[in-house]
Amino acid sequence: MKVVTGVVGNDIHVVANRLIDISLKERGFEVFNLGVNTYLEEFLDAVVETNADILLISSLNGEAEGWCRDLLFLKEQYDMENVIFVIGGNLAVGEGTNDDIVPKYKEYGFDLVFHQIDLMEGLDALEEFVR
Amino acid sequence: MSLLQRDREIIVQNEFVDHFDFAEVEEFVKGASKDLFISHKFKTHKGQTLVQPRGGFPTYEKMYTLYNEFKSVDVDVLPLTIDSHTRLNDYGSASKMLRLSEETETDMLNGYPLVNHGYKSTRKMITDFNTPVSLRHGTPDARLLVDMAIASGIFEIEGGPITYLLPYSKNFPLDKAFLYWKHVEKVCAKYSQLNEPINRESFGPLTATLVPPAITIVIQICEMLLSLEEGIKSFSVSFSQTGSLNQDVVTAKVIRAKAQKYAEKIGCGDATINLVYHQWMGAFPRDKNFSDSLITSSTLIAAMVGADKIITKTRAEAFGIPTKEDNAQAVAGVKYTLNMLKGIPSIVDEEEEENLSNQVDEIFEAIFNDDADTLWRKIFNSIKNGIIDVPYSPHIINNNEAITVRDPNSNIRFYERGKVPISDKSLAFERSKIKLGNSSNSLVNQIIKDIGVML
Repeated sequence: MKVVTGVVGNDIHVVANRLIDISLKERGFEVFNLGVNTYLEEFLDAVVETNADILLISSLNGEAEGWCRDLLFLKEQYDMENVIFVIGGNLAVGEGTNDDIVPKYKEYGFDLVFHQIDLMEGLDALEEFVR
Repeated sequence: MSLLQRDREIIVQNEFVDHFDFAEVEEFVKGASKDLFISHKFKTHKGQTLVQPRGGFPTYEKMYTLYNEFKSVDVDVLPLTIDSHTRLNDYGSASKMLRLSEETETDMLNGYPLVNHGYKSTRKMITDFNTPVSLRHGTPDARLLVDMAIASGIFEIEGGPITYLLPYSKNFPLDKAFLYWKHVEKVCAKYSQLNEPINRESFGPLTATLVPPAITIVIQICEMLLSLEEGIKSFSVSFSQTGSLNQDVVTAKVIRAKAQKYAEKIGCGDATINLVYHQWMGAFPRDKNFSDSLITSSTLIAAMVGADKIITKTRAEAFGIPTKEDNAQAVAGVKYTLNMLKGIPSIVDEEEEENLSNQVDEIFEAIFNDDADTLWRKIFNSIKNGIIDVPYSPHIINNNEAITVRDPNSNIRFYERGKVPISDKSLAFERSKIKLGNSSNSLVNQIIKDIGVML
């Protein structure tokens, strides 16, 4: 399966990004890594261009919410019905519980939401979901 | 008028530069005190490890106080760290934040905005202290900054097109960085003829995240060659503590030998090459006693490898920008430790030296075999096609295929070489040292552990 991944916004957490890249490859995914500092439009363009099955956005500095509010609107402009949308990392500025955060991001248009979840656990859940 | 001079006159026509008098600056450099030149200090303090802290504050007053604090502990080299707006040539924001810092007495910048302060006042401070100052920045286009620095009496310029770009930027075009730095080299070389040479230093830590020594050495030597071919006569190669004492000793030995070898290869064997050692640049422990231990161990290694200069960290590293007191205490501590290590013998590991030496030569063979017509283009192509691959660089041009982990003795090893052209034999040697578990997660778990090795 093809995965487009990257870190959204003005976020330069490159180590996490590389670890996701390496882990996905180890699990047999074909990875298109847009790296750090990527804008939402660039993610969607890459999904179209590569015909990806999964879009995995990560965010570590709390910026995700600002960027991802527009996802539903953007999705309408593309044909993305069969694409699985995943987001993970630190998804809130400051304190935030999963009970608040997960539903909020699901409303934004994500199928899977991992807030402060261990990387391996998150990827296990993703594999379970696509099976 | 030369093309270089025409470019410089255009560059100083900037709304944030009030007046730049090239003739006056030339006279100043000609007559400047030898004590301001680190190249001179290296010559007169051979066999000693000079101590240089890190540091930069927005206002003139705080910078002056910081220097006073450092001088009270007998610092050898002063730092001038530039703020991040200036690094991105955004002098407008730097100017605004400088004004706010002056008005509110809170630091609104993470360094000294040299362009906004100008060279006249900065020169006054630097000549007052009459100690070599090193310019620390991270600027891909440092053309204006470097003319300002030299005019201020700063005669050591850190950085380079690779080491100031690949760890810091995602999109800045690498070919532009090479050309901007070529301009910087020419300016430094021109001033080097007037008095003692301007020293150029490369930034060896790179991303400070599991960078294999072969890549560090290759990049150090590439930047050195690009400087020397423009006429630089004094250059410092550098690297940061790897996390393994043995690997540091081996790295120091090989970088020295190879720097000399490749300088001679391009006909620049007459330049002075110095070795600079950075104390641990990765994530620091939050326990200050552990920080002290880490700092002491790296001072010991600097002495063992006979570093010409050590760049210090402080016990407050995990908590943000250190206070001037923490910083001065770190300098005093390192000097104290160095004093009891005089004449310390080093260790030899011939097998590891041969392995690292082979890797460096294998990579250079591929760089020199690139069919571009100039050295900078050969190096540019080598980065583009993954011959040079820096782990954890955010830059889009970096190949990101090489994967490294630590072996049980904490040495950084190639697990995957990607397109880095080390031989099968070299790769087999590297891999023979690695011990990974069997689960599919063990590689990533090992990497996470290895990055946080000092926590």
